Amino acid sequence: MILPFLSLALLTAVTLYSAIVSFRQTEGIEPSWIFPIRTKRSTQIVLGILVLALLIALSFIIGRGPRQESTRSSRFLIPEGYTGWVRIEFEVQGAPPLPMEGGEYIIKIPANGVLHTSSAEQYGWARDRYYYYSGPSTHSLPDSGEGDLIWGKLNGETSGTSGKQKYEEFFVGTAEQFKSQSKEKESSH
Amino acid sequence: MPIYFDMLPFFLYFVAAVITGFHVYSLLALTVYGVPFNPLEVVSLLGSMVLLLAACISLFRPYAAARVALIACLLIWSFYGPATANLVRTRFQRHKVVATNCGDEWDATSSKHR
Repeated sequence: MILPFLSLALLTAVTLYSAIVSFRQTEGIEPSWIFPIRTKRSTQIVLGILVLALLIALSFIIGRGPRQESTRSSRFLIPEGYTGWVRIEFEVQGAPPLPMEGGEYIIKIPANGVLHTSSAEQYGWARDRYYYYSGPSTHSLPDSGEGDLIWGKLNGETSGTSGKQKYEEFFVGTAEQFKSQSKEKESSH
Repeated sequence: MPIYFDMLPFFLYFVAAVITGFHVYSLLALTVYGVPFNPLEVVSLLGSMVLLLAACISLFRPYAAARVALIACLLIWSFYGPATANLVRTRFQRHKVVATNCGDEWDATSSKHR
């Protein structure tokens, strides 16, 4: 919480200092500790190289960006014609781990719409894909734009007698189906 | 004169660049969790990097470095300026009373405590 205020204080100090140095008269004025002319040659070289190395390292880190983290995408396989809520429960003891294919987690949802896995939940930036499956054949489900069939995606954690349970949920169906089930949910409460 | 006194501009620019850069980068990293992306954060981050460059230049040419640092500060303020204005506005904004405890100490229409 102190970081924003520290940043502001330093920024104000640097702005004032650099403005004073930029606009002050330099002719005939003796150098002082607050307005030095130059530093020693050895210090110049060592610090100059260090700062340049830091600048290059930072450029590299920022260029890589937070999106390149180790988060993997998931491919959700949903039973053909399934409509309703899908729930994936993570870190369930005794459940099988999620298989991987082509660098993606394969999340094959059973007919009841609830999958248990011992794998951990993935956080961060990833591009997930959704498919209907019927036997070996699959076809993709739109998850954005017109004709979107994936709604209300959420992550959560419940705590009960068996400990904490991490889960992910989303709704499969048309916009009308999603809205109507939301109303039904509200009226049932 | 001790050696570290010669390097006042360097330390000032360097520390400010690192602190503001780290702060803005941590805000930018939140976009992966769905926080809306603010382009001014990128401008500010660029400013922090220019300030780091100014720290480097200040070892050789302090007056030229001051001008570079001033430009960097303007870039950084492009994010901190509006953010500070928003912070001040919300801090001093009077909140209207939504519900009151009628008959006790609280007024029904004003947020002032009697």
